[in-house]
Amino acid sequence: MKKDNYIKSWFRDFRRLLGHELRLIFTDSGVLIIFLLAGLAYPLLYNVVYLNGNVNDTPVAVVDEAECAESRRFAREVDATRECSVAYRCVNMAEAEDLMKEGKVRGIFYFPPDFGEKLARCETAVVSVYADMSSFLYYKNAMTSGNMVMLQEMRNIQIERYTGSGMSVAQAEQLVQPIPYEENNPYNRTFSYQIFLISAILLVIIQQTLFYGMSLLVGTSREENRSVSSLPGDLQGHGVGRMVIGRGAAYWLIYMAIGLYIAFIVPAIFGIPQRGEFADIVILLVFFVTDCVLFAMSWSILITRRESVFLLFLVVSPICLFLTGFSWPTTAFPAFWKWFSYIFPTTFGCQGFINLSTAGGGLGSASVQFTGMTIQIVVYYFLACTGIYVESWMARKLHHPGNVDKSDNHEEVRM
Amino acid sequence: MIRWSNIKAVVKRELRIMRNRPIYLLGSVVTLAFSALFFLTFFRAGLPEDLPVAVVDLDNSSLSRDFARQMDATQLSKVIKYDSFEEARADMQSGKVCGICLIPKGLFADVQSSRRPVLTYYINGLYFVGGALTYKNVTYMINLADGAVQREILRAKGMNEDAIMGRIQPINIDFHQIGNVYTNYGYYLSNVLLPGVLEMAVIIILIYSLGAELKYGTSRHLLNTAGGSLQTALAGKLAVYTTLFVSMGLILVLLLYDWMHFPINGSIWYMFLDVVLLVLASESVAIFIIGLLPVPRLALSIGALYSILAFSFSGFTLPIEVMPPYISGLAEAFPLRHYFLFYSREVVMGTGFAGWWQEAVHLLLFLFLPVFVLKRLKSAYVLQNFPKN
Repeated sequence: MKKDNYIKSWFRDFRRLLGHELRLIFTDSGVLIIFLLAGLAYPLLYNVVYLNGNVNDTPVAVVDEAECAESRRFAREVDATRECSVAYRCVNMAEAEDLMKEGKVRGIFYFPPDFGEKLARCETAVVSVYADMSSFLYYKNAMTSGNMVMLQEMRNIQIERYTGSGMSVAQAEQLVQPIPYEENNPYNRTFSYQIFLISAILLVIIQQTLFYGMSLLVGTSREENRSVSSLPGDLQGHGVGRMVIGRGAAYWLIYMAIGLYIAFIVPAIFGIPQRGEFADIVILLVFFVTDCVLFAMSWSILITRRESVFLLFLVVSPICLFLTGFSWPTTAFPAFWKWFSYIFPTTFGCQGFINLSTAGGGLGSASVQFTGMTIQIVVYYFLACTGIYVESWMARKLHHPGNVDKSDNHEEVRM
Repeated sequence: MIRWSNIKAVVKRELRIMRNRPIYLLGSVVTLAFSALFFLTFFRAGLPEDLPVAVVDLDNSSLSRDFARQMDATQLSKVIKYDSFEEARADMQSGKVCGICLIPKGLFADVQSSRRPVLTYYINGLYFVGGALTYKNVTYMINLADGAVQREILRAKGMNEDAIMGRIQPINIDFHQIGNVYTNYGYYLSNVLLPGVLEMAVIIILIYSLGAELKYGTSRHLLNTAGGSLQTALAGKLAVYTTLFVSMGLILVLLLYDWMHFPINGSIWYMFLDVVLLVLASESVAIFIIGLLPVPRLALSIGALYSILAFSFSGFTLPIEVMPPYISGLAEAFPLRHYFLFYSREVVMGTGFAGWWQEAVHLLLFLFLPVFVLKRLKSAYVLQNFPKN
């Protein structure tokens, strides 16, 4: 009988808290801007910005002081690669340097005067390549293009020589390239910036908008002198669990919807590979959104005023993005930051999403990430409970009569 | 109209506010210091080392084992051996290894008998730096292996070592990375990310400071202190914040190019100028946003959106010219974009004034932005007729 009552009252409180929190969310235009406008529009905006993920035809200058057939062929081949296009042919390095300083070219291919002679003497001829390092993508293009053409030309020249000395073409090929290779980049064929960045950024948007929005609400209630735990006054600090779950469910419902949109619809609109199983990714979202809600609930306890979250925690977004390991590899993280990264749900969520959705692995390929998120969920659940318990304890201890009146008024208005 | 005594009064008032609310210093100084600590230590290695690469050796010959050993000995890669391709593929999918080299069965025998066995490799391009570097390293190692086989054959034919080098490598490339000789990832990113955080702090803190007057209904008190003139009020507030932000900027430049010894081809004095211009331009943007939308909550949300986007629109990762045309033009509206162009001329190329004066002018143009909203901001301050939150 007693147990039955407990369950009944649990669900009654749960429903009440859920409804109350939903009402708070949908009556606060600031939170709605963050949840709906930022949550829905940000992924689209980022996709548009990074729509063309490949940098093609980076302009380079060619300074050909060798003026021989081989150097001309080399330059032509560079022009023909996807990565570079020869925008200028300069008579000397000074001219090319000026173009580079003006930003008209991002790389220089320099053929020294002895280039042809060295080839004729069967020595190693050297091409100098200069790359603008202001963006690594320029450098990557100059390097990739230069290396590809170099390998190609090397083989051409070698085969010409060996066939000239009496070998058959097949024999020469066997000698020049005894181990041919086949390269595969199955998940991101052209190293597209869009595919790797967007795959990581999508879930960062979920975590950050959820955190900012919830912090706004917590800050508002603090400003209005309502404690976040003041609602179930009749519970007197007992129903901490239903408080966390009831409030969290409101955010969870909204963010599962936003999450489904971000994980399925946005990639479909912009042609980001979706190789995962639908059910797997939904399971990932359930873990991730639950994790994010509890994460936000735990940390937003620190927020005392409505705006402070922007002033203090805006910089967390780019830091979280780097901590996902999407660019700088996790194996190279300094130990301290590796531990630090375990604070954030995105550390596991983003990698899980990349492995499941973009690389098309099964649930097993994200087992580490699922374990991490499960631990986070447990830890943050207890942190959130502790936070609310301490808060309600302090509220009861420090309640001044004036504040009680004020908070009661607000409660009436809101309810 | 602008009186020094009034400005002094506003400055005193502002300093009092800052003393009472630690959030101003937490949001600016502590945020920037934490970001500097993060980015400068996070990328400390410069280039990642020992990236895990799977080698599936189905041949197990002296040649294939030698190949794996050589790869393991490179700075970039660390070889993890797998018995089957399936296991290696599963680990690549879960991001544990950056790539897979599949050495076919019978490699050594096929090489010996000139049957040209094909070596297959797979790269995980979803983890960008790891993938790209592994791609580079694996390609390099395979070509070295080719060269080694060829060298054996030429040696057997009795050719001397010098002649062999010219034969197996007729062309070589000599790379010069202008402005970042070590291809140091930390130099590349921190140079723009940290000024970006500075821009973010300037915009958010200043919007908040101006918006808080509306929110707490103290704007009339501010105007009274300033003798009824918004210009005086702004001058007083800006005197405080400009001093704060400019010193932060100068310390940041000192930190990067002096204490951390980031490579700089030009002069650090010009970078001081650049960062001062960035701070001033960002302040103007902040005044413009709060003047246009004198609702603190909205202005802060817009400011946050704007300053996060500034990282993308500075064009230091994906170049602006690659973005769709209707997007790339927007980049001009971000001070960080011009800071980046100024920096790339001065620090990377070392051009001096001739290279970056246009960017300096661009940054100065931002200073006109507040002029358009002064009237609106003043009426909002006087009438307090906008929603307060």
